[in-house]
Formats: sequence, C-alpha cells, structure tokens
Amino acid sequence: MINPRNPLWRYPSLGVLMVAFFAFLYVPIIVLIVLSFNQNQTATIWTTFSFDWYKNVLENPNILRAAQNSLIVALVATVVSTVFATMAAVGMAGKAFKAQNAFNGLVGLPLLVPEIVTAVASLLFFLAIGLELGLTTVIIAHVVFCIPFAYLPIRARLEGLDPKLLEAASDLYARPWQAFARVTLPLLLPGIVSGAMLAFITSMDDFVITFFVAGAGATTLPVYIFGMIRTGISPEVNAISTLLFAASLVIVMLSFFISQKK
Amino acid sequence: MTALANAIVIDNIGMVFGAGLGAVRALDGVSLEIGSNEFFTLLGPSGCGKTTLLRLIAGFEQPSTGSISLYGQRLEGLMPFERPVNTVFQSYALFPHMSVAQNIAFGLEMQRKPRLEVQKIVADMLELVQLTGFEARKPAQLSGGQQQRVALARALANRPKVLLLDESLSALDAKLRKEMQLELKRLQLETGITFVFVTHDQEEALTMSDRIAVMKNGKLEQIGTPTEIYDFPRSRYVADFIGETNFLTGIAEANGLRLPDSQWLEVTHSRPPGSSVDVAVRPERAQIARDTNGLNAVVREVVYVGTDTVVYLEIAKEVFRVRMQNHGGAAKMVSVGDQIKLVIPPNAVRILEAES
Amino acid sequence: MKRSSLVGRYALISPAAILIFVFMLLPMLLMALMSWLEAGQFGGVKWGSYTPEAYLKFLFDRDLSDHLVFNTDYLSIFSRSFQLAGITTFLTLLTAFPVAFYIALQTPKHRTWLMLLITIPFWTNLLVRTYAWILLLRNGGLIDSSLHSLGVLNTPINAMYTPIAVQIGLVYAFLPFMVLPIYTSLEKLDWRLLEAAYDLYANRWQTMRRIVIPLAAPGMVAGCILVFVPALGTFFIPELLGGAKTLMIGNLIQQQFGVSRNWPFGAALSFALLAVVLMFMLIYALRFRGKGSLTQ
Repeated sequence: MINPRNPLWRYPSLGVLMVAFFAFLYVPIIVLIVLSFNQNQTATIWTTFSFDWYKNVLENPNILRAAQNSLIVALVATVVSTVFATMAAVGMAGKAFKAQNAFNGLVGLPLLVPEIVTAVASLLFFLAIGLELGLTTVIIAHVVFCIPFAYLPIRARLEGLDPKLLEAASDLYARPWQAFARVTLPLLLPGIVSGAMLAFITSMDDFVITFFVAGAGATTLPVYIFGMIRTGISPEVNAISTLLFAASLVIVMLSFFISQKK
Repeated sequence: MTALANAIVIDNIGMVFGAGLGAVRALDGVSLEIGSNEFFTLLGPSGCGKTTLLRLIAGFEQPSTGSISLYGQRLEGLMPFERPVNTVFQSYALFPHMSVAQNIAFGLEMQRKPRLEVQKIVADMLELVQLTGFEARKPAQLSGGQQQRVALARALANRPKVLLLDESLSALDAKLRKEMQLELKRLQLETGITFVFVTHDQEEALTMSDRIAVMKNGKLEQIGTPTEIYDFPRSRYVADFIGETNFLTGIAEANGLRLPDSQWLEVTHSRPPGSSVDVAVRPERAQIARDTNGLNAVVREVVYVGTDTVVYLEIAKEVFRVRMQNHGGAAKMVSVGDQIKLVIPPNAVRILEAES
Repeated sequence: MKRSSLVGRYALISPAAILIFVFMLLPMLLMALMSWLEAGQFGGVKWGSYTPEAYLKFLFDRDLSDHLVFNTDYLSIFSRSFQLAGITTFLTLLTAFPVAFYIALQTPKHRTWLMLLITIPFWTNLLVRTYAWILLLRNGGLIDSSLHSLGVLNTPINAMYTPIAVQIGLVYAFLPFMVLPIYTSLEKLDWRLLEAAYDLYANRWQTMRRIVIPLAAPGMVAGCILVFVPALGTFFIPELLGGAKTLMIGNLIQQQFGVSRNWPFGAALSFALLAVVLMFMLIYALRFRGKGSLTQ
C-alpha cells in the first residue's frame, strides 16, 4: 500500500487538473438541475425558484405515457436479461469447454458493435420477418443489449468465488442443487443485483436503438425528450432531464453501496 | 499392521491429470493402510501428490486406477456428499455469508438432523474448539486461528469417520501454529476420530503424528512412526527431508567404509565389498574431540544458535555439521581453522538405500 | 467432466446465446445482404436484384444520363467523422490518463469515492448530458451571457451548430469511457516498481514514460477503442449540437431510414462502420492477447 502523502508520489499540478476535470464533468449537469427549478420561460436566466416545470411534466399525458413505456420496457428487459445472464454465468463457470469462447464473443457483441449499427440491423431484421414495430420489438432489442450488462458483474462475482467453497459444501453433504441454493446463489446475489441495476439503467437510458425500432406507438422517455429538444429548448426538458438524472443517480448509488457491502 | 482395524485402505492408486503429452502423473501405485483412531500424516514437498491423495479420499477427484475403501466399504463412484469423511481446507473455505454457528450447522442441516440436535452439537463444537460466544460472528470478523478452529468444528460436527486436513496450519504464524498443533492432537485424542493430515512441514509431522508417510513424485518413500522416520530414514531423500543430516559416501569393506580421503569409518553393514555406500549421520549424534581416535577434520565455521552451537567441519571435501548443546561451554572448545577429531559412534551411522 | 453436467451447462448458456445470435448476429448478416440489394423506390429493397450500387455511392454519384461521377460529399462526411472521433480520442486520453493516475494514487477509500464521481456521469443518460451543453453553448446561454456581462464579448457567441460544439459534446460524452479502463489497469499497478525505478535513478518523468505508461498501455488502448468506436458512430450529438453542416456517419445512416429512404445505402454505411470497428477489435485482440479484455 502506498501513502499518498509521501512526496514521492506527488506529481505537480495533478490536483489542479482534477478540479478542472470534475468541474467540466459536473458543471453542465448542475446548470441543468438549477435551471429546472427556474421560473423563467427563457430557460437560461435565473429568476425565482419554482416547481412549475415539474408540475407541467407530471401533468403532460404524453410524457407520462412515454415514462410508462420506458418503465415497462426496462422492467421486462431487466428481469429477462438478468435471469438469462445469471444462468449463462453459472453455465460458464468451472472447467473450460469448447463453446466458452464462442459465447464470450457472442456476449461481447452488443457492447462492441456501434449502437447505430445494431439499430439499423435490428430495424431491417424486424421488418424482414414481418414483426410490427412497437413495444415488443423494443423489448426484444433491449433484452439483447442488456444481457452483457447484467452478465459481466455476475460473471466477475462468480470468478471471485472460491471454488473450494463448493467443495466444502459438497464435503458437508450438500447435493449440487443445495450447494447452489445455499452457497453459490447467496454469494452471487450482490453481482446479480448490480447486474440487474446496470441492465435497468442501460435500458432506461437507451435512445439510439429504441429510436429505430420503436415505431409510432412505443415512444420511450429518451425518444420523447429527443423530440422535445429538436423542437426547441423548453424548461420542461430541464425538469424531465433532471428527473432522469436523479433516477440514474439513485440506482448508481444503490449499486455502489451494495457492492461496498460485499 | 497391528491388530487395529483399518480405517482406510488405499490400494494401488494411480492418478493422471490431463492426457497425451501434457499428462501429469500425480500418483503412481500408492498403497497404504491407515488405522482406526490414528493420526496419520502425508508428508512431502509441494507437487509430491499428497494433496491429490487427500482429495481422492474426500471424493473431489476420482482415481485413474486403484481403489480406496473406508472401513471395508469401497468409495468408487461416491460423491463427496455421500462419503462419511470431512475436510478442513487449507484456506478453511468458510462460507463468508454465514455466521460461525451457521457454518458449523451446515453439514448437519444437509443431513437433515433435527433442529434441537443441531443446536446442541453446534454448542458442543464451539466449546470443543473454545469459541463459545462467537456463534454470531462472520468468518471475516475472526482471526486466522479462530477461522481455523471454526473450520475444524464445522468438519468435526458431523462426527466423520475420517477427518482430512489439507495443510490446515500453513496459513498461521509460527507461534499460533505450535499452539494449534497441540490443540489438534488433543482434539484427535478426545474425539477418537482418524485424522489424515497433509503437510510439507516435517517438524509439524513429527510433533503430531502417530505415523508418517513420506511421499516423493507421486510415490510412497517411507512409512513409519516419527521415531522410525527420523532415526532410521531409508533413503537419502527421507533423511534429507526430515531434520538436518550429514551425508558421507564410501566404498564398502568389512566392518566399515573407506571414505574418498582414505579415512576409515567404522560401521556394521551387509553390502558387498567394493560397492559405493551412502550413509547419513544426524548432526547431534556426532561429537568433536581432540586427542582421541576419530576422523581428521578441519573446523570451517562455528555458528551459535542459542541452545546449540553448530560446527561446520570439512571432511573428505564434504561439509559435515556437528550440533552441540551449549551447556558446559562446549561452544568455546573450537574455533575456525582448528584441526580436530570427529567422533561418529557406529550406531549413529545409517546405511541408506542405493538411489534408484 | 461428466456428460450430463456438460449438457446442463449448454442448457444454462443457450437462452442468452440464442437470443443474441438470433436478434444480433442474424440481423447483422441480413444487413450485410441487404447492402448488396437494389433500393426500393419508397424505402425497402428489391429482393433478388443484386447490385454494388450502395457501395459505389460512397464515392460516386449518378448524373442525369446515368454515368458515374466522382462525388466527395460522402467522403467529406467520412473524413469529418474520423477526424472528430480521432480528436475526441486524443483529448480524452490526454485528460483521462493523469486523472486515472491521480485517483490510483489515493487511499482506497478516496479512490472509491472519486471513481463513484466518475461513474455517475457514465451512467447518466447521454441525451440529457448532451442537452445540458445546449444550455451552456447557445446564444443567450450560460457561457454567452457570462462573457457579455464580463464585457469580453459584444457579439453573440454563435458556438452552437459548429464543429467545435460537436467536439466539446463528444469529449464530454465519452470522457468517462476513457478513465475507467485506464484506472482499472493502473489500480493493479505494483507501486514498488515505481520505487524500484526511482531507486535506479529514474526521475518522475522517466518513471512515467518507461514504467507507468507501458504497464497502463492495455488500459489506454481499451479506452481508446471504447471512445473511438461510439464516437465514430454517434448520431444524436452532431444532430443536436452540430446542425446540418457537421453531419457524421451516424447522421448519414439515420437519414437513409428517414428522409432519404435508401435502405441498401444505409445498410452499406452501417456495414462499413462495423468493418472499421471490427478491424480495431482485431488489432487490439492480436496486440493485447490475454492482457485483459475490453468487456471488463
């Protein structure tokens, strides 16, 4: 372990850079949040504090429907992708076998292929097989790209698991399924939870793929926000963006504290 | 073997990992019998196959050839959870998400023992390993020694027919290890369970075992009580691995050996005259003297080690150590460069088997 | 391994594998096929009539008499995309390395908190983060109005809808993608190596150049790919910040499924983008085989 106060490790002006870095990262977000509570119509000059825009947002039926769509898609995609990812991670653990490399490549695909390529390919595929664009197509696409996000933390957790623990369970008269239920699953749980949270955020945040495969009836929140921004700046966008930021923040913090707890 | 019932009979076990050119032969025709209530130690350097043998008994691996029986019952095809043996793992493998009590109860719950009985056994076990009051702690909140004792309690709670211990003390520091050695011996006597202990630490093996099997490259080198192993090592390998030893090589003549520098070492042996013979002499069995009959040697180094003084001699171009106890000021007797006499009593010389 | 357990493992893996195969790999193959088909008049494709037209369109246009004429319109969009993505990668690398290094030097507790601060924007909606820059950059926005009130500027700043706005948006969007992998490789660094370097008369800069940077190289390359690939394919950042004059490949692709209705051309563009990405992956995989993977 190194002591950061040791002058040996003190590189000049790194501290200044750090302040600038975090300012760059957070000033836009903070401006956005502050302006969402601004009463002024013009959206960038501060007048007085108000919740008006949040009220507008929460009374706008289109936004509410988009939010509802987002939640439905995210919940379904999270549950399905997390279950499949957990199964896959358990199946991948242990002694090496042939199909492992193929699966590793497959599961990496959604992360490595540019979103717009995935979006175009999915759109063409859905149209070619005659599946009508709507919530179904959105959910299918989301499940697919959520799988790696759910998979990776679970797999990492499983890799950190001492294989001796399973031997110990077996030595203490646990049958394989008992060893899974009593030892593997509880120890895997933090990985599963953080995997599910990452899947949820990823699904909630996705814009590009949803934009292509949603069709008219299945507008999600990001797609709706994109439309609002394109038609012009409005304080409502500030408010709804802040809400979306807050949602991400809550989930990231939850995930963080769960992972800290081990 | 004695009249004791055999707990474990290992018959001609062979174990090969991998296949083709990369195949590794971890065990090669090992046969041994472990008596009931015995504290039996498998001793050897890493890679000698001792842990593999233990894992075969536990059922974590299946042997390539040969068979293992437990009190007459063949163990082939039985999964670890079907064998009445339990293991104390090298790194303990305590379940990190369970409390001490839950860890100890695990095996009993898996065997569907009634709740009250489980609670009673857990309490008994905690008392046995002197951890009463720690039942609610998580393994991470325990010291290494305490974790070790939980691992022991967890295995012993099942009253196994045989307890397997895999390098179970190696993670502890020297002082704690000494304490746990005595503790293990006490537990073994109190419970009357057969212990099969794996270690690379010869001192640990000598301290605790009823019998020791020294292993080398997947084969048994020698089996015997600690005294037999220490005092009558069969081969250079065993003599070298257990304790400190001096080796001398000479040509056999009647009633003795002719050393390379033509000096005469008296010893009774049955080797044909003219053959090359290796012998071993423990450092504490030899003496240094002046003005007597003995082998001519030169003092090269004198090392003070507290209770003893170790004198390094040169004889027949070889280094020979003599260990002398320090009471009586023996250390002051010699200094570097002295020409002295090395006295080796004939009954201190061990004739070693020719190396294969 | 027992046969039954192997079957069980295949069964566990197959749902995820089949889903990704059917809804990711097959669509990409279909896309590759469609890029060689003739475009339908109002979108769609004419099945069965194969033509390299979509790929010719990268460099050529057809004039009224159907002759191929060299056309640099798309070429300039490609080069702009590569340029913007390249500069983004360079700038993020330049910033992220010292940041990751600084964080790796902190006590474990501080490290976790600093990494949390970087993770939060990482997981915040990119659309929202891009939108925030509109509030800063536009005329009458925060930067414009502050410069005016300070008297530095009299005319409107006109920062929006410029390549610079797009560049800022790209750097802002992908900065966390660069910090995370570099930090991961620095976190594992054995600091005794630096002590050893100092002991052997290397100064701070030499230690950095000869020890730290080579050991962090896999993380840096991973970061570069994680930034370059999405930056190259991005479409809403130039859409929102850049306007019509700073189109990137992503916008061009999107247009083929919107106003332009030329599916084969869109598919060909996507496939070309995919090919570029796969090429980078391949180089990375060959160069850093076994030294950690991008997906970690």
